[in-house]
Amino acid sequence: MARYVYCFTDAGHPLPLDDLRGVGADGTVLRAIRHEGLAAVVSDAPEGLRPKRRDLVAHETVLETLSAAGSVVPMRFGTVAPDDDAVVAELARGAGRYTELLTRLAGHVERNVKGAHQEDSLLADLLTDNPELRARNEALRAAGGGSQPDQVAFGERIALAVEQRRTRDAAYVVAALRPLAMLDRHAPSVEGCFVNVSFLVPSAAQDDFDAVVAQLRTAMEGYAELRVSGPLPPYSFVDAVEATV
Amino acid sequence: MTIMAQPPTGGGGGSAAGALYDVIELILDRGLVIDVFVRVSLVGIEVLTIDARVVVASIDTYLRFAEACGRLDLTGGRQPVGLPAIVGQITEDSAERKVRGALTGASRAIADTIHDIVTPDGRGSH
Repeated sequence: MARYVYCFTDAGHPLPLDDLRGVGADGTVLRAIRHEGLAAVVSDAPEGLRPKRRDLVAHETVLETLSAAGSVVPMRFGTVAPDDDAVVAELARGAGRYTELLTRLAGHVERNVKGAHQEDSLLADLLTDNPELRARNEALRAAGGGSQPDQVAFGERIALAVEQRRTRDAAYVVAALRPLAMLDRHAPSVEGCFVNVSFLVPSAAQDDFDAVVAQLRTAMEGYAELRVSGPLPPYSFVDAVEATV
Repeated sequence: MTIMAQPPTGGGGGSAAGALYDVIELILDRGLVIDVFVRVSLVGIEVLTIDARVVVASIDTYLRFAEACGRLDLTGGRQPVGLPAIVGQITEDSAERKVRGALTGASRAIADTIHDIVTPDGRGSH
């Protein structure tokens, strides 16, 4: 029978599985498949599994709970093994790598930071900062908006300036938080956000991380907002063995 | 921020459910992929992640920006946000809290301790 796989842990993980339910309409029962020093947390794979909100929440809840209790290597959503033997075979095949990864990730959490500009405030700031753009804006306004080609040409200049600001402000956020993280990774681009970045933060450094986030929020108040998630399972750092920590 | 005080079960209104929106691209696009296992099809899920630059570079966007700029009221001695200077200070402050170097030092100290335990009479090659 097919198994939905949530994560790998080491055998010493407390694995508080009794109060958790996995993906599927009725909330599947979780159990551990053990092999030597490692364990895989699995449930039966429901027929016709699709990424419904209910299942995404179940996946996330299992991983958040287990990563709060010990080191985990999280699977991507929707990972299904054909049977228990295939899970054991993978634990055996990758034992060295998974053990090292669990050791590297132990005591760390993922924190994700998204930043979104408040558009009117960003545009006003660009025009205030750039006399030429401001003069062109005033000329267009004086001409009742100007011709469409003039508007397009002006808008293109603004778009370029916006893109430069997005790049600049993303670099600011990363530079300010990077000292408090062991690793950082750009997360997938998300609509409306100038930055989406994840940091691998030592659990003990989270207060410092939050303090710097608070400073950034104050500095950007009225101009951009930062949305911070975590502590999360280390989704973005399952390559941490290859990376230099 | 998600806080796991009480592990929510199933699809109830736990913290994970509340924060799902902001981590959905991590759940769907990060995490370990194992070649010999299959992944469920993501067909049918709303695609939230896009390349934002594609949206910025279009005639519609240019016109929208031009119109939005035309609507702004820039009277009243508005000052630039001045982010570069402020962020520079924050980054300096952050660097003082730095963990990378500090933790490397701590790890090394632990490694040395273990080394000393393993070779208590200092036979190791320090």
